[in-house]
Amino acid sequence: MQDFLELAVSATASGCIYGLIALAYLLMIRPTGIINFAVGEWAMVAAFGGHLLLYRYEWPYFAGMAAVLALMVVVGWVTERIAVRPLVEKGSAVLAPILALLGVLVITREIISVSFPPDPLPVPFPFGIGRLEFGLVGGSYQSFFIIAVTLAVFAGTWFFFEKTLWGRSFEAVALNRRAAALMGINLSRVTAFSFSGGAAVAGLGGLLVSPNISAHYLMGVPLAIQGFTALVIGGVGRVEGALIGGLLLAFAEQLTIRYAPIPSGFAQGVPLLFLMAFLIVRPAGLLRARA
Amino acid sequence: MRWLAAFVVLSGAAFFLGDYHNDVYRKMLLWVTLALGYNFLFGICGQVAFSHFAFYGIGAYSVVIFLFHFHAPLPLAIVLGVAVCVIVALAVAIPSTRLEGFYLALATLALAQLFVVLLNEGGDVTGGTGGIASYRLPAIFGMQIRGPWYTAVIVFILLMTYAILVRLDRSWFGRACRAVRDNPEAAAAMGINVARTKVVAFTLTSALAGVAGMVYAFVDNTVNPPIFGLENAFLLLFMVIVGGSGRHAGAAIGAVLLFLLPFFLSPLVGHHHVLVFGVLMLAAILLQPKGLIGLWDRFSR
Repeated sequence: MQDFLELAVSATASGCIYGLIALAYLLMIRPTGIINFAVGEWAMVAAFGGHLLLYRYEWPYFAGMAAVLALMVVVGWVTERIAVRPLVEKGSAVLAPILALLGVLVITREIISVSFPPDPLPVPFPFGIGRLEFGLVGGSYQSFFIIAVTLAVFAGTWFFFEKTLWGRSFEAVALNRRAAALMGINLSRVTAFSFSGGAAVAGLGGLLVSPNISAHYLMGVPLAIQGFTALVIGGVGRVEGALIGGLLLAFAEQLTIRYAPIPSGFAQGVPLLFLMAFLIVRPAGLLRARA
Repeated sequence: MRWLAAFVVLSGAAFFLGDYHNDVYRKMLLWVTLALGYNFLFGICGQVAFSHFAFYGIGAYSVVIFLFHFHAPLPLAIVLGVAVCVIVALAVAIPSTRLEGFYLALATLALAQLFVVLLNEGGDVTGGTGGIASYRLPAIFGMQIRGPWYTAVIVFILLMTYAILVRLDRSWFGRACRAVRDNPEAAAAMGINVARTKVVAFTLTSALAGVAGMVYAFVDNTVNPPIFGLENAFLLLFMVIVGGSGRHAGAAIGAVLLFLLPFFLSPLVGHHHVLVFGVLMLAAILLQPKGLIGLWDRFSR
């Protein structure tokens, strides 16, 4: 039991990371239909930003975090300007920006791998290394920090979509682009905003996970796969779906590693099996979009 | 007759090259083979998949494993290798092509990642991280095929792949693929079984990649995990896009260009030619969506 609860905390924390990456996808898919596989690389860029500011220049954690997130907003905005907007304005099929973003993925990764040494680089923990215990439930400071920040982000996103005019206009674009434009919603501003937001959320995920796994230039693609699997599990219809999908995926992974008698490398196959199972049984995800 | 001439010219060239250039030439031919198959899947059928290179690896590994781990005779090993590719392709394609959108992209991305993991964890069977090395192509009818003669085998596979794809492209199936790419709803309304068309195209091109992989296995006489990683899957996509997707000539040009480019770039940028590829690909999509072949069309008119 003790063992399971310990595992539950760390699985919840990694589920939160997957949930953040899934949310980053969702922020961009909902209004534009564009799947941006570069979210994993954005998480990686933020991890390297964390290494640079927090480790090398020893900034205080929250100042460094704010600076990295601000950088990510700019990265998302610039990416949208260069690789998405020209294609959308030309009226290309939705595949064109997706492919352009794959180009961005490779370019981003190569720029990082040229600028930094190839070894995993350390990123400091915000509260150092230590354990927090509430009765039977215990875990590292970082696990609880990840869970708290993620919950705050999801609550904020939910509030934004449900309660603010801006958020409603996002939803309107997601439901029907043409109609939303006719109602006077600025489509390109919504797109730019969704990319900035997506980059910030993905960057947050990368920054939060980086103290545990170190900043490495190849960390992006696995995160991109796990985040998208979480999104498929939860469904793109609702914001909460991303978090629930991430948690389910992380529990499945960690329980397999801990209790199934297979080499730990094979646990990387769990997302694929999960994905296949969901595509067959429940292609729209667990949560249906509200009518 | 044209085919025979192409075969003679392409394989004849191998006899005038030294060992090193022969090696480069063979790999270039294999890239062209792969790009042609991938172009059918991506350019003509409109499916975004990242597994093509993994199937190349599945073909290479399975023929070596069947030959030297299970001691199967060569023809049987080839048949079994193709069978493995077909089964894996069906297992991936049937669930992921049922849906609209880019689920296939994700499923194949995960498959490509998983494949490398399996190779690394495979212990005795796959040789782990070191792969399998120091084996030789078994004698066929008592003859050892080597040197430029083996290059002729590769040319044969390339032309066979090309012939199959051109035939398919011009048949009702190729038209069905293009219809599915351009407008799935309209294709379905015309009585095309969209899901089946996608599954068949995916499985067929994956099997062709597997066959190319089997030939590759005896080029270096070694197979190891790093070769079959995602890097090369992306490279294949870039080749087709830069060359001109949907056109056989475009895919071939893209493959030759991006394969040879690093040889000229390495004095300038060292090992970072992938950065140049990324920029080329982005530029192609933004400025020249029809690729180099589209440029050629414009100038020749």
